[in-house]
Amino acid sequence: MSIKSILIANRGEIAVRIAKTCKIMGIETWGIKTSAEPKAHYLTQVDKVYDLSDVFSEVLVFLDVEKLMDIVAEIKVDAVHPGYGFLAENAYFAQRCVNINVKFVGPTPDAIHKMGNKTIARQIATKNEIPLASGTTRSIRDAADAKKVSDKIGYPVIIKAASGGGGRGMRVIHKPEELAQMFRLATTEAEKAFNDPSVFIEKYIQNPKHIEFQIMADSHGNVIHLGERECSIQRKHQKLLEEAPSPALSPELRKEMGDIAIRIAQAVNYESAGTVEFLLDTNNNYYFMEMNTRIQVEHPVTEMVTGFDLIEQQIRVAQGEKLTITQKDIKINGWAIECRINAEDVQAGFSPYLGTIEKMVLPNDENVRIDSGVVEGDTISPNFDSMIAKLIVWGETRDEAIANTQKALSKLWIKGLKTTIPFFKTVLNHSSFTNGSFNTGFIENELEFMHESTDEEEALAAWFATLQYINEKEKEAENQVDFEQGKNINPWLLNKRMKSF
Amino acid sequence: MIFGKSSKKEIKKLIAVNAKRKKFEFPIPFTDELKIGDRQGEMKIKEDDKHGTYLLWKNKKYPVEVLSKNQNRYEILLNGVSYNFSIETPTSYKRLKYLNTKSGSKKNENLEAPMPGKIVEVLTEEGREIRAGEPLLILEAMKMQNEIQAPVSGKVKKIHVKSGESVLKDDLMVEIIIGK
Amino acid sequence: MDTNGKLFRKFIEREDRLNQQYTAELAKKQHNKGKLTARERIDLLFDKDTFEEIDAFVTTASTTSSFGTIKESYGDGVIVGHGKVSGRLIFAYAQDFIVMGGSLGVVHAQKISKIQQMALKMGAPIIGLIDSGGARIQEGIASLAGYASIFNNNINSSGVIPQISVIMGPAAGGAVYSPALTDFVFMTNKTSYMFVTGPSVVKEVLNEDVTNDELGGAEVHAKKSGVAHMIYEDEEQTILGVIKLLTYFPSNNVENPPVMVEPCGMDEVNEKLRDIVPDDPNKPYDVKEVIHQIVDPDSFHETSQYFAQNLVVGFARLDGSTIGIIANQPKVLAGTLDINSSVKGARFIRFCDSFNIPLLTLEDVPGFLPGIDQEHMGIIRNGAKMLYAYTEATVPKITVIMRKSYGGAYIVMNSKNIGGDFNFAWPTAEIAVMGPDGAVAVLYRRELAASEDPDALKKDLVKTYRDEIANPYIADEKGYIDEVIDPAITRKKLIIAFEALQNKHVSAPAKKHGNIPL
Repeated sequence: MSIKSILIANRGEIAVRIAKTCKIMGIETWGIKTSAEPKAHYLTQVDKVYDLSDVFSEVLVFLDVEKLMDIVAEIKVDAVHPGYGFLAENAYFAQRCVNINVKFVGPTPDAIHKMGNKTIARQIATKNEIPLASGTTRSIRDAADAKKVSDKIGYPVIIKAASGGGGRGMRVIHKPEELAQMFRLATTEAEKAFNDPSVFIEKYIQNPKHIEFQIMADSHGNVIHLGERECSIQRKHQKLLEEAPSPALSPELRKEMGDIAIRIAQAVNYESAGTVEFLLDTNNNYYFMEMNTRIQVEHPVTEMVTGFDLIEQQIRVAQGEKLTITQKDIKINGWAIECRINAEDVQAGFSPYLGTIEKMVLPNDENVRIDSGVVEGDTISPNFDSMIAKLIVWGETRDEAIANTQKALSKLWIKGLKTTIPFFKTVLNHSSFTNGSFNTGFIENELEFMHESTDEEEALAAWFATLQYINEKEKEAENQVDFEQGKNINPWLLNKRMKSF
Repeated sequence: MIFGKSSKKEIKKLIAVNAKRKKFEFPIPFTDELKIGDRQGEMKIKEDDKHGTYLLWKNKKYPVEVLSKNQNRYEILLNGVSYNFSIETPTSYKRLKYLNTKSGSKKNENLEAPMPGKIVEVLTEEGREIRAGEPLLILEAMKMQNEIQAPVSGKVKKIHVKSGESVLKDDLMVEIIIGK
Repeated sequence: MDTNGKLFRKFIEREDRLNQQYTAELAKKQHNKGKLTARERIDLLFDKDTFEEIDAFVTTASTTSSFGTIKESYGDGVIVGHGKVSGRLIFAYAQDFIVMGGSLGVVHAQKISKIQQMALKMGAPIIGLIDSGGARIQEGIASLAGYASIFNNNINSSGVIPQISVIMGPAAGGAVYSPALTDFVFMTNKTSYMFVTGPSVVKEVLNEDVTNDELGGAEVHAKKSGVAHMIYEDEEQTILGVIKLLTYFPSNNVENPPVMVEPCGMDEVNEKLRDIVPDDPNKPYDVKEVIHQIVDPDSFHETSQYFAQNLVVGFARLDGSTIGIIANQPKVLAGTLDINSSVKGARFIRFCDSFNIPLLTLEDVPGFLPGIDQEHMGIIRNGAKMLYAYTEATVPKITVIMRKSYGGAYIVMNSKNIGGDFNFAWPTAEIAVMGPDGAVAVLYRRELAASEDPDALKKDLVKTYRDEIANPYIADEKGYIDEVIDPAITRKKLIIAFEALQNKHVSAPAKKHGNIPL
């Protein structure tokens, strides 16, 4: 079946990204206009817009299965691309699409369900003899149960939401005393985020590296991997910087882990793009963590070093095509780094910084790719994530990629709000990063300053602040008011005014 | 009678004081010639449509903007990093120094909401002894639950929020009596 | 002084003695507390070489009692006089903490009374710089009588000349009531405080430990009690703030407010105004952004900024002329009116009306704040203050309805029928008895209960309600608003409208005074 039209059930950067590939493939795209951001940039990048801007619903349409199904039926598209987040890993939504014969661009509902539920995924992994961190293969019911399991595994342990992802519903427990409270927090957060309070517990591997493999599979049983990504620069389980390949993997280890990743995908008859995440400890022991059954935020680094358009591959697989590439065709060419430029106040613990993008100057160097869902004048609001853009930079070698990224960052100007740019500048300069020894504890343990700043820059800022003060005082002094004017009153009014006293 | 000897005092310098009380002095009349450490050069303020305002010093460009200002306090964003200064005259600087030596005797700490959001859970209660770093409440913002920790050790004097309640940035949430 | 005359000897001696009274050590003592001396404050306030002091040489009243000692000095702890501020005549008194702790004795009080009466006769604003230990205990009843006469003058001058109190040190006990009676109270953070009973009494009676700053510091009065209208971080900024505020005021209730010599213009069409108010009626925004896009650049000067933040009030200039702005703040408590905001608004409106400052109301109000607290603490009588103040005001009054305008709050916020001269609405306006959810719930309760899909029915009904009732066009067609306007041309519309109203006069029936529900 050939796909002629796609509903993009997402917003922001990924909606723009999907529309771009669809345009090249000659597929008509539909976007949804919401009341939360009726002037969003992604709407200008799609061919047709379904207008919901006058509907003020509590639930955002991208999370509303029924509403989306209504739209799909009304506009009669061939396929739905869910992007990432929202309903991308919702098996029910995928099933509903399948039911009405609309192609869900992604894996089968069954694969989503199996990998989406972390306890089932752990069971599958165990059955297929895939290395796992010790822990439960069932969900934990209450704090007492959690205590029992944790005592057995040995602290530190980590509680994770069974249906989770992206750091939500996740808590690390170092001491038994912390358990009860952390358990409660993890379950409430999981319930809120995923509508499912169930959690499981596993051994917390301290300061590992986060390595993930990009998988591509078709509906004919062919599965390949497109190499790994290293995503160890994280803060509270939120990835900030990713690269491909990883400086930590030897070709042998890459092959070994890649094969395992393929094995996991095969175990659930996977199709479409997926990501198998591993933790890698300092002794090169690796543990399967989870499989993400969607396109990832950080997919561009893989695209940069393999030369494949992953969204295109997803759509082709959805059309029932066979993969035209085999594992042998995959060559990793050079190095790519992605920085997530978020509207966050690094100096205030990465808290979201809301505001309007007054100016945005993007580097247009060779080897630089920018994926962004916003343009100048757009606002970063509390309704959505704080991403402004993804800066993806390529180099022949890792050193060159780092140097090119630094150059690109220095040319990236965003005015009007605070961003993570100064954070990346300091990361890229740090010896643990440049020598590749960093791990997921990097920000917490190794980074002394979260942002790059020099004494000289502070002095310049002081000079500028003082100048602003002087200018303001001078302007106030110049703004003369004429008190005599106030005495110049129309006699008609003055007479009446005087008489009324 | 006129105050013969006293008249509006000429200010000879202004002092920018940062959050850590480091001071940067600038003579009045104010000049573009700036010396930092052993580097000296002329400062230029440039502006164009594409970049907005930036400083040009020693052939290097520094994007700059005023993020916020309140009376004599300025938050400057330079090269993506923000700096807070209060601009003081010699007189007000003296006052600042005096008040800083005095402020050690602060008795209460007010915990204000760092961002707008919703209180998911209150983890402490009025009258309870707390230590610095102890989680006091959970604030949900940007779809993430944030643990709000006690900035100081002491005793909870009053809790101003309930779970389920929405708060705005800088809303008072918890009052703490500082103590060991 | 260059003279040999015998007659001048005493004159010179006295002057020397007065100057000696202000020794460097005493000044330093004050500086070491982070404060300036009274003379330094006067110097900051007035234009260079314009301040004329009177009664500099009065001496302290003699007392018959031997209780406590009084150090002999000139001036009795207060400097009074007049001078020019921004070129205009202003009267002022500055309590001098160096002399007997600025305590108020009978002569001290007489000096203040004298300058208050002069200001009233001359129709010129008066500024009080307050830094006083309170009533002078040694003088007993006489100093209390002194306070009474100051209060008396405050009240006589109220609504005739602008009165500003600047608290730069302690103000305790009865002393707080003079500032409370004046139009605006300024405080300097950390070095000024005001309370009726101090920490020692609180400790004695209630056994509660509290510092001066926690009980009556500037932040407390700016945020919690609403007593202080303006707070600043140091004394220089405080006085500069007074000078700035004065530029918005006329000298008295006969004059009109001053006008900018060169008003800085703005574009006639400002498209930004179309985007600030979100389409989603439940989404908050900052009304100050709207204000900044309407008034002359940098001219908005907010008062009571930290108190009852759900209502924004302040002065601004529109094409160079002073206006007073009252705006609901959707960012705080969704912009509802509560007790504090009603009181804040009412007082601001009455000040503007007293001094011929036209009023601009920017409205986005979903209603009064519901709650047991509010009802029990008297939202009824307090909300009535705002209603009374608006209706009573005879200055030009214009309203722009930006979004929500529901129920009683619609009436209160300068609606047409309580005397709004021009009432404009933006296309985003929703004018109705109540919000859509409430209206649907009241009128279709049974239908909703019986429905199989109440959510869908409710959505439909809400949509119908918005289309047919809660919009600006019905009100426009029935004449309850004067025009639905494009937000982008709001500034232009307002300039024209205020110009048309500049000679407005309303004759009120003769009465002693109305009975505002206090």
